[in-house]
Amino acid sequence: MVDEMDLLSQVKDVAPLRTEAYERARTSLRAVMAESVTALVPEAPGAAPARKERFSWARNLRGSLGILGKAGIGAGITVAAAGVAVVVVATSTPHSASTSHVAASAGAAGSAAKAPAVGSRLVTLAADVKASGGSLSGDASLVIRTQTADGRKPDVTYNLYTDSGDLYVTDTQRALSSAIAHHANLAEPQNAKEVAAARYAATTGDLAKAREQMVNAIPNAWGLGVSPAEAQQEWDKAMAKLQPKLKANGITSPLPRPTGKALQDDINNYVWTNSVDALSWGAANPEVRAGVLSLISTIPDVTVADSTTGGQPTLTLTAGPALFQGAGEEVLTINAKTGMPISAVMQLAPGQKPSSGTIPPSSDTFKVSRVTLSDVQAGKF
Amino acid sequence: MRSDAELIGRSLTGDRDAFVEVIYRHESAVGAYLARRVGREAAEDLLGEVWVAAFESRRSYDQSFAEARPWLYGVALNRLRRYWRSRPAEELVPDVTGMANGWDPWPAVDARVDTQAVLRTALAKLKPEEREVLTLVAWEDLTVADAARALGMPAGTGRRLLHQARMALRNAPEVAALITDLNSVKASQ
Repeated sequence: MVDEMDLLSQVKDVAPLRTEAYERARTSLRAVMAESVTALVPEAPGAAPARKERFSWARNLRGSLGILGKAGIGAGITVAAAGVAVVVVATSTPHSASTSHVAASAGAAGSAAKAPAVGSRLVTLAADVKASGGSLSGDASLVIRTQTADGRKPDVTYNLYTDSGDLYVTDTQRALSSAIAHHANLAEPQNAKEVAAARYAATTGDLAKAREQMVNAIPNAWGLGVSPAEAQQEWDKAMAKLQPKLKANGITSPLPRPTGKALQDDINNYVWTNSVDALSWGAANPEVRAGVLSLISTIPDVTVADSTTGGQPTLTLTAGPALFQGAGEEVLTINAKTGMPISAVMQLAPGQKPSSGTIPPSSDTFKVSRVTLSDVQAGKF
Repeated sequence: MRSDAELIGRSLTGDRDAFVEVIYRHESAVGAYLARRVGREAAEDLLGEVWVAAFESRRSYDQSFAEARPWLYGVALNRLRRYWRSRPAEELVPDVTGMANGWDPWPAVDARVDTQAVLRTALAKLKPEEREVLTLVAWEDLTVADAARALGMPAGTGRRLLHQARMALRNAPEVAALITDLNSVKASQ
């Protein structure tokens, strides 16, 4: 007897894919795998998690800063994604180790004391956001993030970050329920550390310490918060560990630890980038937003401007090229009253022309809401 | 031989070859899965995206499952959904367009064309999840439990959907007529 399953079986044959197609697919995979090496090996201090690096040039750059600094490397940092390779050439020596003075303390993240003029705007907003918090409903932040990069189609992810530190990331809203049911928790230690650093800034006001925590949310080789001698030891240890990779990139002599403005730029890159990450996870929590605003207010190379987005008053926060080795800038747009993130755009700085050393444009848009985990699991959101 | 789960676990500690080994094991099956749904050319374009997506999400792999193929089908389906969403409406035909693509053994071609036409219409009328469970079982030789796993749903739900899909297909007039015809021919032989 023939039944419907037999009928289906009769039409299952299909032309096999060509051999070269399999090879091409594997090549795409290997290119992405190589990215995790060239953007620095996972065990290296300064390496950022691969999951977040998919479209994120800025985060790849951050991954390199902790190790390579800007100490006159002159070597390219190859960033390959899905078969597309981009070679980013680090700037030569504008802030290199030739800078004469060494930071007075290895805890150089504590430059918060010199808050720039624009900082007051953010500090005021941070205070307003914190004051408006009240009792917080729900137990998780849902951030719907749309990423567009390098001519690719927009990539939408649903990021659910719970107050207890679990992170569920899916391609569709509906898949969140299943991810929760299967405990597909993608949280990595740095997620919680970034959020904790932001909340610390908001709740204690100790921005020097909060900056240090935010920077150290991602492993790095700077040795913040320890004595200069210990910091140098940290650096030397990291260099020794990284030596084979550096050699593969044509760097044979040990890299000196960056100092002065170069070090501050690198550290501020981490403060900025990790703070934007913290918004990606916990933006629905006013303490996180307030803390992030306070932390960003400590970065001298960030400018703040009034803007309007979709008819609503917004603030445009621009992290200047100094934070990105001169390769471009990142613009974060937030709601002027609530501090909610609206978008983050990587772009060339005004007057800058595209080159092998500049960033490919990319953008993230955020839609943030406070939710209850059980509602999301039940599909009620 | 190491299980897929072990290899994926090793890839998380930096062993890249381990993940490539998983890909070698399943590339024919996943390639065929894609080709059955979007045709060979598009499948060849999508396969690399599937591997990249799988690599990037390997941390979410539940290592209590030794074999990764159902999970890879799930990853592939996500890429397919994105692909279908990105196509202009006029290019979209039901998810089963790949069925008639490319290669037909000549002796069976007439029967296949009839069957394909009837099934294409009937499958298009199923709910997407019913169709996915049905085709994962019928074409990719998964158990219902594994098909459910690929789709991120409980096994019981998978069984219910398969039952519904089979009933809907069996009760579709054209399919019922075809089954009757084929059984009559078989009975007369």
